This record gives sequence, structure tokens and C-alpha cells, in this order.
Amino acid sequence: MSDAAISSTQVFPLGKSPGKAILWSLPMLLLSLFMFMGAAGVPKDPLRMIPLLITFALVNVLFFLMIYTGKTDRYRAVFFVTMSVLFVISFMAHFLEARGSMSLSAGEMIKGRTPFCHMVIPMTLIPAALTKTIIFPGSILGPYSIATMFALWIGASLALGRGFCSWGCFFGGLEDGFSRIRRKPLIRKISDRWTYLPYAVLAAVVLLSAVLLSPVYCEWLCPFKTVTEYAQVTSFKTLVQVIIFTSLFAGLVVVLPILTRRRTQCGLFCPMGAFQGFTNKLNPFEIRIDRAVCKDCGKCVRECPTFSLDDAAVSLGGTKLSCMKCGKCVDGCPTGAVHYHVKGTAVPASPSRARMLFIYPAFLFLAVFGGSMIQDGLYRLLLLLTRGTMIQ
Amino acid sequence: MIQGFLLGLANGTSCLAFCAPIFLPFLLGEGRTVRRNIPLLLQFLAGRLGGYLLFGIAAWQVGRWIQGYASHGLFMGGAYLVLASLLMAYGFTTPKTACAAEGGRQWLSRITARFPSTLPVLLGLLTGLTLCPPFLAAFADASSRASLAGSLAFFFAFFIGTALFFVPLPFTGFLRRFNPVRVVGRLACAITGCFYLYKGLILFYTGFIT
Repeated sequence: MSDAAISSTQVFPLGKSPGKAILWSLPMLLLSLFMFMGAAGVPKDPLRMIPLLITFALVNVLFFLMIYTGKTDRYRAVFFVTMSVLFVISFMAHFLEARGSMSLSAGEMIKGRTPFCHMVIPMTLIPAALTKTIIFPGSILGPYSIATMFALWIGASLALGRGFCSWGCFFGGLEDGFSRIRRKPLIRKISDRWTYLPYAVLAAVVLLSAVLLSPVYCEWLCPFKTVTEYAQVTSFKTLVQVIIFTSLFAGLVVVLPILTRRRTQCGLFCPMGAFQGFTNKLNPFEIRIDRAVCKDCGKCVRECPTFSLDDAAVSLGGTKLSCMKCGKCVDGCPTGAVHYHVKGTAVPASPSRARMLFIYPAFLFLAVFGGSMIQDGLYRLLLLLTRGTMIQ
Repeated sequence: MIQGFLLGLANGTSCLAFCAPIFLPFLLGEGRTVRRNIPLLLQFLAGRLGGYLLFGIAAWQVGRWIQGYASHGLFMGGAYLVLASLLMAYGFTTPKTACAAEGGRQWLSRITARFPSTLPVLLGLLTGLTLCPPFLAAFADASSRASLAGSLAFFFAFFIGTALFFVPLPFTGFLRRFNPVRVVGRLACAITGCFYLYKGLILFYTGFIT
């Protein structure tokens, strides 16, 4: 059955009501008001005030639209992609300010000034258990520190499971953005075998990191070093590393997402994502497919950006372990068979209530986590426009 | 000999840690039962013993020369490159029955079908040649031995001490019913191969220019 034919038999009314949507959005408005303006109030410096107001408006408009239209992924993606782009701008500006360069010198590493990101977490666990040390040249406390990132990760894992990859990861938005550039994919078929690659990368980097007592992924495989920081090119080794980082970024984050309309780095490579998949087992939210309503049109399988749905999964009424709960399949399903679900409840038990229960903590996390990045990124852009430099 | 055995026992966990990233994905990739994993382990250990004994001879006869050569990186870089090629070929090829009509393709499947022990023995030999910290300690000790027999006996005892730590590995056979584990194991072999390829290239290049 074609998508158009199925659309005509749509059985899941969205029930748009502006009044209800405003009521549902009100708690988010108050929470975001408290978050963004609670402690210090509105800054007087227009360069600081404008980004704050834009971020506040963005959070609330997008959340209202999410409630009003019943579409999750469409508005999540706007915030998610904005957060990632502005994170890169903010991060670069910070490090240009602090070091005068985006590259990381041996001196900075010795001083423990390497920013810690969530990608390192799986590699640190075995050495931490065996040697009681964190194998990373970063600081324990402060911004971009080990403790901050661990606390955020534990909270996000409990609240969202692998939803963290679509509602919090500041790298994921880059390829999410690139994957939306083309309307139709040029490469449609990717062998299922490659969907196991993230688990293989995870196994290899965890074992090698435990052996070498250094974060192998960061040293050799991280595509995002290209847009954050990389080792200063001082030797053949560092030259090879930089070539690898740039090639992986170009291939997995830019070119393949454009050609496939999928998040290839997240779905086919990221070891942290593979690790995070296991936290889906701890988390109460999941995506389910109501088999009684499903017409087996395969749209969700084609649309899933993270390779988390195939025919076998659909026939079982669920997704694979790798599901990032982005909501694209929920938005796209012409019959409304795909929905958010709270584990332990019947299928379908109030799908719209389950959706609300999920998107509230998820969007709040995205707003808290991404809001400051968006504000700082916008501030740096305003600095660039008004003073010709991103540095304070 | 007791000294070599004790040194092996003391450093066994490090040896296991160095070899596990190579051998564990291989075992998972093969997806065999616990019982059928045991011969694989024995073949791997035989290869490792071969590597150790080769070093035993080297330590006694040309210890200084090898050490100097190894420090230049050419020797170690070469060993890493061969190891990387094997791991990558194993990881990136789909296992299937070898067919004479296929010519040069599936060369690894053809070789392993004809000589099943080749891959585990080679992996063992090449990891046996790796200069991990406990191995360097054993090498330094063995090179001070007066006779070839003494040096070989020392390395043999060192091997026995470290081999005990490999005994639990065949039990990964319990995971074989879960088919994706095989695919992940093979791909992890390939990723580990990529890492050793980088290391090998860098060591080789550094050895070449110095």
C-alpha cells in the first residue's frame, strides 16, 4: 500500500487544541524562565541579553509547537541541530580565548586541561575499576570536567536511556543536520552487518584502552576532534591522527549522512552510542508498534535515521537496542501505529500520555543542556558581528 | 626456570590484557562451542610459544642487535603490520566455504579451510613477538643467561606462567548461540587491526627515518 493511500486511512487524530497546548506548555515556560533568568535576572549588556531572549523564545516556541502539532522529531531536530552548531562555535571561541589555538599541546595535557566529553566514559570504566584512576588528562571539577560529564551522563541515562543521543549529545546534531539536507537518499541499502560495527568499535576501544591505559578512541578515532580540538601536529604520529580525524568527520558526519539521510556516525560507528544502547534496558520509555494498527508499509524502517528498525523488529512490535527515541518514526507513521510507550503498560495504553511523559523530561534536558551552549554560541556570533572577533 | 615461571605468573594479567584484544574477538568471531574453542586456544598458545622461543634464541644470540633494531621500530613495525593485515583480512571478509573457482578472492578462507590452524598460530606467534612490558622484563632477564638452553628454558617457563591466565577464554563459547556476537567479534578484530596498522606504520616510519 502506498504512503498516500495509507494517509487517507489515518486513524490517529491529532486533536489540535491551542488552549490545551498552551496549558501543557505552561510548566515548560515557567521552568525555562526559572532556568534562564532565575539567579541573575536579565543581563543589561545587549550582547548577553539578546542571546538569552532568543534561547528562551526558541525553547518555548518549539515546545509549544511540539505539543500543538503532535510532531516530536521535527521540532526536536531544530533545537538539537542549533545546539550542536552553536556548541562548536562556543567551544572553539572558548579554546581560542584560553589557548590561542584549537589544537591541544602536550603541555595542556600534562596540566590536565583536556576537556572531558561523554564519548570517553566507556573507555574509563575498566581502568578505573582496576587501577582506581581515570585514564584521561582532564580535571575532576569545573566546566568540561570528568565529574560534571559523569553526573550528566548518569542522569540522562536514567531519564532517557539512549534517548541521550537524540536529546542531549552535542555532537549528534551535526550529522542530524547534514542528514536532512537532501529530500531523498542517494544510498538506500546498507548491509545489516554494518549496524554491528559500533559494538565492535566499543569492544575494541574498551579492550585496547584497558591495555594501553589511555583513551584510544580520543587518540585515534574521534571524528569530532575536527571541530573541537586535536593534537598539535608536531610529528608523523600527530599528522596521521589529524588526517584520521578529518577523514572520519568528512565521511561519517558530512558525506554519508547527506547521501543516506541517516545518522551514520551515530548508527554505524559511535562506541558511546553502542554503550548507551544498553541503558535503554534501564529506562522506562521505549518506542512500540501497535501490530493491530500497523499496515507493514515499511515507512518507519526507511525513515529511521539510526538503523534501529528493520522488518524483524517491526514484526515484533518494537525497535532494536540502538533506538535513540528521536520520534521520527512516530511522526512519520501514516497510521499512528508507532508510538512512545512506558514499559509495563499495555500496548497501546494512552500513547499521547506516554509521549507527554517522555518529551517533558527529554525536552527539559535538551533545554537545560543545550540552552547555555546556544546562548554562548549566539553571544560569540554577536561579538563577531559587532567587534569582528569571537574572543572576549 | 622457577624464576621465569614466577615472572610469568606475576605478569600474566598484563600478558592477557595485551593478547585479549586480539584473541578474544577472534574467538567470538569463530562462534564455536567451549569444547571447540580449546583447540583454538592451544593453537594460539603454540604460536605464542613459538614467538617466545624465537625471542629466547634472539635473546641469547643476538640480543643486543635485536634490541637495537627493535628500538628503531622497523622490526616491531613490521610485526605490527603483518598482525594488522591478518586481523583486518579476518574481520572484513565474510566467512564462507572456500571454492577453487573463486581464484584469488577469499584467500584467507581458502588458506584457513586447508590449514585450519594457520590463523590462531600466526596470531599467537605475532602477539608472542610483541614487546609488551612483561615480555621486555623476561627478555632482559633471558639475555643475561649464559647458554641457549638456559635462555630457552627461561622463556618456556615464562610462557607456562602466563598461559595459565588464558584458560578461561574458551568459555566465551557460551555466547555462540547469540549470532550477532560473531559479527561483532569479527568486526572488532578488524578495528583492532586498524589500530595496529596505525601503530605499525608509525613505528616503521620512525624506524625508517632514524
